[in-house]
Amino acid sequence: MSAAPRFSLQNINKRFGEVNANSNVNLDIYPNEVIALLGENGAGKSTLMKLLYGFYTPDAGEIVVEGEPLVAHSPKQSLRLGIGMLFQQFNLVPALSVLENLLLAFPAAPWWQWRRRRLTTDVLACLQRIAPDIDPQRLVRDLSVGEQQVVELAKIMALNAQLVILDEPTAVLTPQEVERLYQFVAQCRADGKVVVFITHKLADVRACATRIVVMRQGRIVGDWRTETVTDNELIQAMVGKDTGLIVNRIAPPKHLLPKLMVKRLNVSSRVGTITAMDFEVSPGEVLGIAGVMGNGQRALAMVLAGILVPDSGEVILDGVSINALAHETIKVPDNVAYIPESPLTNAVVAQLDLATNLQLRALDALPFLQWGMPALHEAQHKLAAHDVRPSDPHLSAGALSGGNLQKLVIARELSRPVQLVIACYPTMGLDLIATRNVYERLFAQAEQGACIIWFSEELDDLLRYAHRIMVLHGGRVQSIGPVASFDRQRIGRLMTGHAQAC
Amino acid sequence: MLRDYVHRLLRPGLLVILFIGVILLFFILIGKPPLQMFWSMLTYSMGDVFSLSETLAKTTPILFCALAVIVPARLGLISVGGEGQLYVGALTGTWAALQFPDAGLWILPVMLFAGAAGGAFWGGITGVLKAWAGVHETISTLLLNYVGILLVSHLVYGPWKDTANLGWPATRSFPVNAILPKFHATQIHLGLLIAMILAIVLHVLLNHSRWGLSLKILQRNPAVAALSGLNPIRQTILVMLVGGMLAGLGGISEVSAIQGRLQPTISSGYGLAGFLVAWLSAQQPMRALLIAFLFGALLAAADSLQMFAHVPAASAVVLQGLIFLTALIINQLPSQWRIPFWTK
Ligand SMILES: Nc1ncnc2c1ncn2[C@@H]1O[C@H](COP(=O)(O)OP(=O)(O)O)[C@@H](O)[C@H]1O
Ligand SMILES: [Mg+2]
Repeated sequence: MSAAPRFSLQNINKRFGEVNANSNVNLDIYPNEVIALLGENGAGKSTLMKLLYGFYTPDAGEIVVEGEPLVAHSPKQSLRLGIGMLFQQFNLVPALSVLENLLLAFPAAPWWQWRRRRLTTDVLACLQRIAPDIDPQRLVRDLSVGEQQVVELAKIMALNAQLVILDEPTAVLTPQEVERLYQFVAQCRADGKVVVFITHKLADVRACATRIVVMRQGRIVGDWRTETVTDNELIQAMVGKDTGLIVNRIAPPKHLLPKLMVKRLNVSSRVGTITAMDFEVSPGEVLGIAGVMGNGQRALAMVLAGILVPDSGEVILDGVSINALAHETIKVPDNVAYIPESPLTNAVVAQLDLATNLQLRALDALPFLQWGMPALHEAQHKLAAHDVRPSDPHLSAGALSGGNLQKLVIARELSRPVQLVIACYPTMGLDLIATRNVYERLFAQAEQGACIIWFSEELDDLLRYAHRIMVLHGGRVQSIGPVASFDRQRIGRLMTGHAQAC
Repeated sequence: MLRDYVHRLLRPGLLVILFIGVILLFFILIGKPPLQMFWSMLTYSMGDVFSLSETLAKTTPILFCALAVIVPARLGLISVGGEGQLYVGALTGTWAALQFPDAGLWILPVMLFAGAAGGAFWGGITGVLKAWAGVHETISTLLLNYVGILLVSHLVYGPWKDTANLGWPATRSFPVNAILPKFHATQIHLGLLIAMILAIVLHVLLNHSRWGLSLKILQRNPAVAALSGLNPIRQTILVMLVGGMLAGLGGISEVSAIQGRLQPTISSGYGLAGFLVAWLSAQQPMRALLIAFLFGALLAAADSLQMFAHVPAASAVVLQGLIFLTALIINQLPSQWRIPFWTK
């Protein structure tokens, strides 16, 4: 490596109660590197970087910056040292505008100079540079998650960070936004900054990193230059053992008589529009649906689940019209498993405990009067089987992280045999092992003869596991066909609206 | 463990001390000797059998009105309609009682049922407006209060007025069998027992039944209701019907037991007191039972103080407001200063 390290973590240890979040970690960060910090959920990546940022103090070990050991490290000192961090949870005030949020980040500004001219123009210039399309007067609460992330990045850049730490920045982004983030990282490198990019996606690593550091169970278990390591080596280092992470694609359906029929569907609603949609799915078939978010996926999923009444057309499952039922009571039929996007807002009640949340699809089965938790034993079993952490059924759902909420919903929906599974981005926020588990359970339902409607943005996974692929654009079926007739490029073009191109 | 337990005991205790402080401060402000006045308040509200009976008689409609607010609040609806539902319940109950002047004791359940139905109807209007037209429940309950009160006035000044009263606006007296039984020679009547039983029943239903769970789900995340097959429209109407029914029972029991006939003024601010009790109790019926007793005591004491110590009649309302405001402020303080109020 060249010269002396700019930042150096030496023998770092950090415990949280029983958990050794970091044990004896040594990491040198050199000028002009983009380090991908790779590891499964809970490996200790965030903790290590929060220590470097001064958010936590290490139990033992030293942080050395430009040869000087730091004493009494804090986020305030990081500001002086030029360390900026993008957290997994954003730190913005929803009711204020983008500009106001950016200005708030400057601790030195006395309140009467809140709108200092100089500062304002500097900040605006910075925002202009990294996100020319965001109007600084818009309120943060009106921004999408991706746009909020850009505002956070602008904040870090405006503070003139030399070391930029990004904590799982791609977990919440759409593919287009991910591309933009990669460009942002490249630009940082070109400007002579150092970037640490925390992730558990190999695609991120390959796109950005010059060096890859893998953590597992609080320790660094591998450190390579990007060109010198294969994906398999990385996966093995992350997961620890030589587990097959690749699930086998299940055999395509044998009988091709349709089980699910969607006929001349038209919807125009708050959640999206669908125009003249027609398709059929056979028993045991996995239909993967690709598309840029907001092209009718949400409306389609809700119509299939029977909770959105279409303007015309119908959905027939096993000879029964799902939407005719919806006119009486709005309810997802019992033989349908529905895994909506954003589980916190669409699939659980944050204030209720996990056991009750697991029962939400079968309230009628509960006794009318009930002291204590419903079906406690069953709940404990399901939580353990799906590796929901923490697995205490008394905890309220709001206390779980996004990935664990996703597991909770999957535990509820896929623990019983069903005829139709509607899965919207079921692996979002999950690490490799959890992702594999979800795919196994999803495809097990298909092997039992259910139809699987699987919305995903992981194009590689769609190509690997689906039997057929349907691409949505502007609420229409842009293309549908057997998986063999698609590849990444073709799907990408179809997603952005190019018709049947080569 | 032990610390938690001590904390739980201490919290309501500290709160009561704070409320006493507020009351003392109020007397200082209006230029009366605070300790002496406070002592009189205690004796006038619970010092002897007569005072205690006055307190419990006022506790009854307050508790009914509090329950009438609690049930809709469990669906996230803020009803201020206790007063109007109480009047309409009194009206329909009176109508039933006066239909059968020679009735036997069977008239009691019939009259109570009629009162409950009237209140339920009045609450149901709000429920239907909310469910079908999205009319905000707070506005419609507020306005329906005026309509209900004026409706009673119209009837007792007009068509229902007993001519034997010589211009005094009131209906005929209730037949003896339509007067709710009282406890010995006190003002404590069957209504209190009914209200207490209903509080217990609601406690069980709201906290431990499938119905209570449905309300929680609908309130916290309506998007999930469709997964469970819950019907928000039906539940909105239902909670307003039940709430109205409770206040209606409060109205007819008050008129039957205490006043003996329908008059233009039935309530001394029971609707407002009930609303405050409901929110101070964090929508828990059993807590509401206790707090309704305190508010009953406050109203009873204020009545006596007005007579014997020349304290303005509005004092009770001012004190209720101050107590409520104190509780709200405490709940809004940053957590490190806060004397934790009810924990949920
Ligand atoms: N503030 C905290 N309190 C208690 N435990 C924590 C805290 N932060 C992290 N942990 C625990 O430390 C371990 C490492 O967590 P983290 O650094 O967030 O992992 P990663 O970012 O790699 O997913 C996990 O087991 C986590 O539960
Ligand atoms: Mg993390």
